[in-house]
Formats: sequence, C-alpha cells, structure tokens
Amino acid sequence: MSIRLPGVVTQSHGLQRFMLLLGFGLVFLFVFVAIFAPWLAPYDFNADRAGGVVFGTQQGPSADHWFGTTVGGTDVLSRVIYGARTAVEVIVLAVVLSGVVGVPLGLVSGYLGGWLDRVLVLVMDALYAFPSLLLAIVVSIVLSGGNSSAFGGILAAAISITVVFVPQYYRVIRNATLSVKAEPYVDAAKVVGVRTPRILRKHIFSNVSSSLPVIGTLNASEAILTLAGLGFLGFGIEPSAAAEWGYDLNKALPDASSGVWWTGVFPGLAIVLIVLGATLVGESLNDILNPLLRTRGADTSEADQAEIEREFDTLRSAHGRPQAASLGPDTESKTESSEEKRVAALSLTDLAVSFRTDAGQVRAVKGISFDVAPGEVVAVVGESGSGKSVSSRAVLGLLPSTAEVSGSARLGDRDLLGLSNRSLRPLRGDRVSMVFQEPATALNPVYTVGWQIIEGLQAHRKISKKAARARAVELLEMVGMPDPEERVGYYPHQLSGGQKQRVVIAMAIACDPDVIIADEPTTALDVTVQASILELLLSLRERLGTAIVLITHNMGVVADMADRVVVMYRGSIVEQAPARELFATPRHPYTRALLDAVPHLGRSHGPGLVDPGNDVVLRVDDLVVEFPGRLGQPAFRAVDHVSLEIRKGEVLGLVGESGSGKSTVGRTAVGLQQPTSGTIDVSGHRVSGLSDRQLRTMRSRFGFVFQDPASSLNPRMSIGQCIAEPLHVQTDMTQSQIDTKVAELLDSVELGGGYAERFPHELSGGQRQRVSLARALSLDPDLLIADEPTSALDVSVQARVLELFGELQQRLQFACLFISHDLAVVDTLANRVAVMQHGRLVEIGDREQVLGHPQEEYTQRLIAAVPVPDPLEQARRRAARATIA
Amino acid sequence: MATAEVLAPLDPPGGQPSARRRGPLSPLVRYLLLRLALLIPMIWVLVTMVFVLMRVIGDPIQAALGGRLTAEQIAERKADAGLDRPILTQYWEYISGLFRGDFGTTLTDNRKVSDILVVNGAATLELAFWSLLVAFAVGIPLGRLAARYRDRVPDVLLRLFSILVYAAPVFFVGLLLKLAFTPFGWPSSGRASIATELTLQDVHPRTNIMIVDAILWGDPALIGDVLKHAMLPAIALGLLTGGVFLRLVRVNLLQTLRMDYVTAARARGISERRVMNKHAFRNALVPVVTVMGMQVALLLGGAILTETTFEWKGLGYQLSEYLIRRDFLAVQGIVTVIALIVGAMSFLIDVIVAFVDPRVRF
Repeated sequence: MSIRLPGVVTQSHGLQRFMLLLGFGLVFLFVFVAIFAPWLAPYDFNADRAGGVVFGTQQGPSADHWFGTTVGGTDVLSRVIYGARTAVEVIVLAVVLSGVVGVPLGLVSGYLGGWLDRVLVLVMDALYAFPSLLLAIVVSIVLSGGNSSAFGGILAAAISITVVFVPQYYRVIRNATLSVKAEPYVDAAKVVGVRTPRILRKHIFSNVSSSLPVIGTLNASEAILTLAGLGFLGFGIEPSAAAEWGYDLNKALPDASSGVWWTGVFPGLAIVLIVLGATLVGESLNDILNPLLRTRGADTSEADQAEIEREFDTLRSAHGRPQAASLGPDTESKTESSEEKRVAALSLTDLAVSFRTDAGQVRAVKGISFDVAPGEVVAVVGESGSGKSVSSRAVLGLLPSTAEVSGSARLGDRDLLGLSNRSLRPLRGDRVSMVFQEPATALNPVYTVGWQIIEGLQAHRKISKKAARARAVELLEMVGMPDPEERVGYYPHQLSGGQKQRVVIAMAIACDPDVIIADEPTTALDVTVQASILELLLSLRERLGTAIVLITHNMGVVADMADRVVVMYRGSIVEQAPARELFATPRHPYTRALLDAVPHLGRSHGPGLVDPGNDVVLRVDDLVVEFPGRLGQPAFRAVDHVSLEIRKGEVLGLVGESGSGKSTVGRTAVGLQQPTSGTIDVSGHRVSGLSDRQLRTMRSRFGFVFQDPASSLNPRMSIGQCIAEPLHVQTDMTQSQIDTKVAELLDSVELGGGYAERFPHELSGGQRQRVSLARALSLDPDLLIADEPTSALDVSVQARVLELFGELQQRLQFACLFISHDLAVVDTLANRVAVMQHGRLVEIGDREQVLGHPQEEYTQRLIAAVPVPDPLEQARRRAARATIA
Repeated sequence: MATAEVLAPLDPPGGQPSARRRGPLSPLVRYLLLRLALLIPMIWVLVTMVFVLMRVIGDPIQAALGGRLTAEQIAERKADAGLDRPILTQYWEYISGLFRGDFGTTLTDNRKVSDILVVNGAATLELAFWSLLVAFAVGIPLGRLAARYRDRVPDVLLRLFSILVYAAPVFFVGLLLKLAFTPFGWPSSGRASIATELTLQDVHPRTNIMIVDAILWGDPALIGDVLKHAMLPAIALGLLTGGVFLRLVRVNLLQTLRMDYVTAARARGISERRVMNKHAFRNALVPVVTVMGMQVALLLGGAILTETTFEWKGLGYQLSEYLIRRDFLAVQGIVTVIALIVGAMSFLIDVIVAFVDPRVRF
C-alpha cells in the first residue's frame, strides 16, 4: 500500500485530496498514540492514585487530569490513550486475519465455482445476513469459554471481529473474481494452457487486489465500532487487561443524567475520530480507484487518436496532392450551403466544443458548419474521436457541464446554442429529436414503452392520457411494430433489439420534429435488422418530410441513406458533398483513403482455394453444444449438429448474426467450452472430451485472437509479459531466448521491440490487436481462431490489421477459423465461407460461390442486407432486395 | 456491515432479453417460489449455526446455575431440560420445536421464548419503526440533494455528515443526546413513564406496542408521553441508518443519472424534475431497496446497543440481560428468532424488488 499511496494522492484533487489527507492524518495520529502510549499517558490506565495521592472519582477536567477522572477514580486521558493502543492492536489483527481467510476463499470459490462455491456462498450469506454485533458477541463468549476471563484478550476480540468480516472479504473478492474471470485475457491465458494457480495469481488476484485497500480501511472502521460495541455490552476485553473505549462509555452512561460529561465524551470522540479517519481514507481511495464513480472520460484514448492520425498521414502521403491536403472547411461547399440557408431546417455555423479536463482544455470540435434542409438526409461520417457525436449533442445541450460550446446552431430562426436548459427543453423532442445508438440502454427498463412514449407526448402537447395512448399505438404501428395494441404495454426487456430501436424511433417522431438526429442508429443491430431500420427511417422521411442528420462510421449505411455527406476528421470537416459525388470523386485525400479502407462486399479479389491435398488441421464433426437452462427452463442449444473442416494454409470465414452460435464453435474448438456431443480433432488429435490437464500439451497447436482488444490483454502485465506467457507455460526456453522470440514476434506484427516494456493501456486499439496476434502466433500454432478480431477497430485501422493478418497467414500457412459478422471483411481474406443461423450451419463452400451465388435463402437475405459503400450499386441492391423479401 | 454495500452497488438484475411467458406459472410466481426455496437453506444454516455455537459454549445449565446449585440438582435440571441426551436428539428436538413455534424456555426465569418475542419483540418492532421513519426522512431527501449537487458544497457537507453519523457509535450519540436533553427534563430512558406503563397494562386488546396501546386507550397525554420517550432512541438509531441510506441513495442516483435513458429522456424534452423523479430515482430504488433489506441486520445489531443505552426493553435489551446471566437456552431461543426475522425480511425485500423492477416480474 505504501508504494501506491503517492500515486493515489497525486491522482486526487481538490476536496478529495483534502479528505484523503485528513483521513491519513487522523489514522497516523492514532497509530502514533498507540505506539507511544506508555510515554504519552500521564498515568497507567488502571491507576487510581499516583504517589499515594488518590485522584478522586468523577473529578472535572483540571491541570492534573486534563480530561477529568472516571467514576472508578482513574484518569480519563490515560484511558483514552491506552484505549487507542487496544483499538489499533485489535483492528490490525482483525483486518489481517479476515483478509488472510476471506481473500483466498473468495478467489478459489469464485474461480472454481461448483458445489464448493455454492456451499460457501450459502454459509457466507447466512453469516452476512446475521446481525454482526450479535455474531461477535456469541463468538467472543465461545472463545472465552462462557466467562470473560483474560483469554488472550486482544486475540479473542480480534477473532470475534474476524468472523464477522470474513464474509465481507469473501463476497467482494468472489464478485470481483467472477467478473475478472469473464475477461477475455483470462480466456486467453487458458487457451495457451496456463495452470489454475498461475491464473489465480497472475491474472485474477493482481486485478482483484486493487479493491483490497478500500475494503481493508473500511472494514477497519467497522471493526472499531464492533469492538466498541462489544466493550459497551460487557463482552469485550477483560477491563483489568486493557483500556477499552466502549467499556468506558458504558460506565459513563449513568453519569450523563447527572451532568458528568467528561467521562463519556472523550472516549466517544476518540472512537468518532479514528473511525472518521479510516472511513475518509477508504472512501477517498474508493472514489479515486473505482472506475464506476469516475467521471466519464473521452471515448478514445490518446493512443487511439495518435493511431488514426498516423494512418491519416501515411494515407495522405500516398495519395496526397498538396493543395487538397489542407484541413479547413471546404470553401466550395460553403457557398453552396449559403444558398440553401433560407430553407435549412437546422444550420450549424462555426460550432466548436471544448472540454475542461485535468490535462487542460481539449478541443473536440473545432468550428464546423453545415446545413440540413427539410426532407434531406445528411450523413456525418468519421472515425472515433472525430467529434461527430459531440457536435450533435451540443445542438441539444446534452453535453456534460465541463463542455464549452461556441458558434451557432440555428433551428429555423432561433439559435439553440446559448439557450438555457429551461428554454431549450420545450424544443427537445418537439422540434429536434434524437435516436440513440444502443436501444437497450436508451429505454428506461422500469416503464412500459407506451408509458415512455406518452410521457414524451405529454411533455409537449396538452393531450389526455387516453388520446396519448391512442397516439402511442398509432406511432408504434407507423414504425412497423407488430401487434402495437398489445406491445404498447410491454416493458423494453420483452422486445428484441430491432423492436426496441423502432420504439426509440417512434418516440423521436412523436411530435413531428423538424430534425431527427440519429446517432449510429444501427450500429448495435444485426445487418438484416439494420436494413429494415434504415428502410423505416427513409420511409418516415418521405412521409413526414423530416430532416435527418445521420451520424455513422459505416460507409455502406451512408451510401444507402444519405443525400449529402459531411466527412469529419479530428473535430473539423474535411469535405462535404452530395453522396453520389463524394463516392464517385472524393476530393479530399482523407475521404479517398477512408473509402479505400472500407472492405467492399463482392468487389475484392480474395484468395482462391488451397490445395485440396493439404492436411486437415481442424475437423469438427457433428458438434452440438448446449447450455443448461435455468430452473424449469429447457437447455439452450447454441450449436446444432455442425460439421466443418479447415486445411493447412486455409482461412474459413464463419459468418452469422448475433446468437447464431459462431463464437461458440470457435470456443469449443480450443476447449474453452465442452461439446455436448460430437467430436473435434486438431491435426489428427482428438481434443474434445479431454480434461484441462490432458489438453494442456495440445495447447501449443492453437492460438486465439479475441474480439475486444481492450480486454484481451491483462492490464497489469507488460506487452512483453503478455506475449511471453505462452512461451513460459509451454516451452523450456530460457529467459534470453524468450526475449529474443518476443522481439521477433513484435517485429512480425510491425511493432518495434520498444513496445515490450509498455502496458496495454498505453497502446491504441489497433496496436493491442497486433499484440494479441503476436501472442496467438508465439507457439507457431497449426490453427488460429480469430473471433471478430477487427470489429472494435476503426476502418482505416482495420484495413491495416487485416492486411497484416493476410500477410502473416500467407507466410506461416496456419489454418484459420475467422469468425465475423462482417461479410465484407470475410470476403477479403477467406478461402471458404460458412454461414450459421440459430446454431445450424446453413451453407458452406468456396468464398466466391457462397458470397457470390448463394444457394440458401438465408444467405441470400443476409448478403442482400449488407449495404455496400457505393450509392449507385446500393440503390440497385435495394431494389433487388425488395424482390427477395 | 453497511459500507461494502454502499460502495459496491449491486448490478441491476436481468440484462438478458425477453423471457417470454412459459409454463403454467407466471414469472413473478416462479421468481418468488425460487426465492422462497433459496431462503430455506439459508435459514437452516443460520439456526444450525446458532445451535452448534450454543453447544460449543459448553453446558448451559452449568454456565447459568453452576455454583448456586449442588451437582445433583444440576444433573436433575439437565435431565429436565433434556440436555443429557445425545446431541443429535437435541438437535432434532430443537428443529422440530421451531416448526411448532416452540423456541424453548429460559433457564433463569422460566419464561417461554415465544412470550419474550410477543412482549419484547413488540418493543423492538416499535423502535425499528420509529428509527426507520427518521432514517427515511434523513436519508432519502438528503441523498437526492447530495447527488444533485455532486462534488459541490452541499454534497461535500452531506457526505461529511453521513460519515460522521456512521463513525459515531449509536451509544455515543445516545449519550450525547442524554447530555443535551436531560437538563430540560426530557425522558431519556424506558418506553414510557411508570404511570403510563401502569395505565396501559389494562388496555384491551393489548399489543405491547406502546404507541398503539396508547392510541387505543385514547388519552392524548399518554400518547405524548410515549412519543417523547421514543424520540431520543429513534434519533440515535435512525441517524445511524439514515447516514447509510443517504450514501446509498446518492451513489445509486449518480449511477442512474449517467445512464443513456436519462440522456434520452432529456433529449425528449422531459423536464429536469421529472427526469430526476421518474427516471433516475425510480431506477436507483432497485439496488437501494435490496441493500436496505440487508440493513435490517444492522438495525437489529444497532437495536441491541440502542436498547441498552436507553433501557428500552426490547429483544436486544433482553438478550444482553440473558447473556450477562449466561442463560444460553434463552440466548439460543432469541437468536433463533432474530435469524428467522432476518430471513423473513430478506424475502420481503425480494417481493418489494419484484414490484419496483418489471424485469423480475415478466
């Protein structure tokens, strides 16, 4: 703890730091008093006379007795000082003991699960639910054999308190373990065959332990109160053995009625101050360390920003024409927009947003101007950190109070910026409304969808409840909700993701707004659902003449929907143009690079088939995976009789929508999940049905790349350690051999050797995914499973990672199961493609055949639903899709 | 006991999409049955723990009466109480007694524990009611205020206040209250003045809950006397619980206030007051209610101390009397009763949560 504290102090600021320091001050004061009690106290705690002179009972404060004397004739100050010693001794013992018992129990129980976990949870919950003081009393009586002898006084008290606090450590550590256990980096360690004790130590404990100082200090304060309570009730330490504040308070209680205040007030204050100190330390630590309570930072890290910037620079130098390289707003489009100004529904001029952060002002949006005309769809595109979402929220005044906004946003003849919340409120939802990215979180889970629509209506219109309900049903019908009469009474969790988004759209159009701002409205949805939601938005535009600002990163969606496109890069607009023009002749190099980076379904000349004589590396035969249902529910079959093969040097793209079971196939193939039936062979060795121990020697044959680069690397291990772990576990290489190998691997994923010393949080998403790739390849595996490896990355970054991936695969000739929801990505690098739906394999075959001439109806629908980044082609596809559906 | 809960708010239940109505039972009934089924092993663990601990202490007769009776008399008393039989037989007796509502009889004064529950339990219930009233009145509005002014002066002051009331042991607050109020002749011990208690002996039907008895009697002077006596203990215990509620409400409100649906409600032009009341507060209630349920244990623990401080003759007061007298049969009975109350409360909380959170119901 002492090593961490300076860091903690520097992370804090202002009042938080004051509270933390006050807490430390109080705690240190009491520890000091405890250690030096015999020198500080004027008398012994039990002495009622000094030098033959009796102190006298209940004497008020005086020069000889600063705090007066007790009813027993002892010096109050001395008792308070010695009491500090007792308290500190008991607390240190109790906190250490309960940590030593509770932490391992929580770790093991949370990680291993099973019956041990269930029994422990039951016992600990029962202990936890029981009044703690009562429990401590009973235990202290048990320990002292029914009569409070001086049985190791301090130790007995400490153990009584320990019993009370073990369940707390256990619960906190178990819960933390459960959540860390689900992190991909723990799976990543399991995939390479790391043994359980090492996983517990290296991956789980190191990440869970950050909560220990917080629980420790907080429990310390509760321990003091429990000790005082025990003493007060007469079940504490034998009074002749040690001074104890709680006991003194009990003795002082009758004094209170007779106006003798000093006997009770001083020991009481001592308790209050020491508990205050410990609590302040604990709470401040929690405030500073707990990410849940931290104010939300920027969406992208500095490393991510730098990465996008780097990609931008390289692309610009590749394409660059000097005159087009300037970043300022496009002058031509500005003149164009000034003509439209009279009819614009929403018009932004020089909108700039900056945030006050600890690191100073951060400019998120640097003066952008564009207009939306009634009935027009303007797409705002850009990668993460481009400021596209921030600018739209600024329009409605929905940014946090740390934001500073300037410029103007005119809605008709009113400027929205600078309006107070009070005058802005009637406009929100009435004239300008929003559709959010994640429909699951944009709806309040405790109200029915009808209630939420009606609430919005009644906020803007004088309308009776009955009429509002009728209107809600009408709105739901308008957005294509099946059975709107009944579903108006549904709670959000009873609807599917697409239906939820329809509700969100219904709310957005409830008051016939002039402008709808749709912030990534389909990003969280499957591609077939996305197609129908986009369809709905377009039809609403036709019918209602609403202007739509569509914020998205998906060029296919832009091509499908937009009349005009605004391209943003790092807070500025680099180009705005009509959609067809922008896609046909992008003027700015960034736009061009962005369009080039987008994988385009059906346009790539991906790899052909591998030599059919190659060895089969992965053979999945008739695989079934079921997850047990919860009480009274049938088991859920995630994978339903799936068979497939991958040969050496071959990439099989496994595609499907969410819940199709594609990831489960991948996890089962590497033994992270046991099959219910069916077999899996890797390089001719049976891997299904093996125990973890038996599987361990096989583990060097496969690697796994996880979806989320942020969580697939252990945040407390350096990049070098992350990559070296499989080598440590699976080989007998010496440290220097391992170092060399790590440097080679880093080189092969185009990261310099200097990265070995860095930690995951210092890297960008793309860099982290390269590290994951290096780790997966460290043992030269026969088989690589890549589960959505690029879906969390921006397109320009994704393009580079995919390119690297293809090169490495060609060079190393491993077999690869490439799992993705993105057909266009699979199209660029798979030899063969398999399509899954509801756990079944719908279609499998050559890439060109499956993606070019699909035989199955589901595959056809899936492919038709993918928007391609070309407005003309997309218009044709849209027409064609209408005939399929 | 409270702190860990306050600092680590529970995850809201659910998260997985729509479980359609399936099977003959409605989801609510199934949920409640499941909760009830989970409650049984918990109560079993608790009562078994009590039994085992009480036997570990040693021979209860010897502990309570040793030294006052001869060895023969003690052996006789043991045989009467059935304590000379095998431990499993005693355990069976104990458990089957619980099903009949028989919690045993005290050794020292031969009272039935069920009578103690009726008389002293009522007193504790009354104290719990008053102090919960204080706790709600203090915790909820102040918690909302603190959340609203996060990291500004009111928030900082309120957080300091909540830490202070938490840091002050309930008996110290009691002592300070006594020091402050006794000079004005304010009653600071007991549940009513002796005259009132004597009068209320004759109330029919007698509930043992003083305020109800006083209202039944119908004399405003008596009601006033009872209320006056209840005030100091209620404040002492209520402040302790209220401080916990304050922090609980604050933390959970802060979390719900940053949810997307709150931003979404603002974007629909819902007024700030309504956003706070209907969207943030209602949702924050789910974890708050869950943790408040666990506070019952804290309240009961605090009640032991409060009752001792104010000579409020409730379960806790009675328990600590029997503990001092080493009457472990009485202790076993009372502690068992407390275990049952804790179990019943946790089920009650599950029911309340089901009504606050539709994800549990459907």
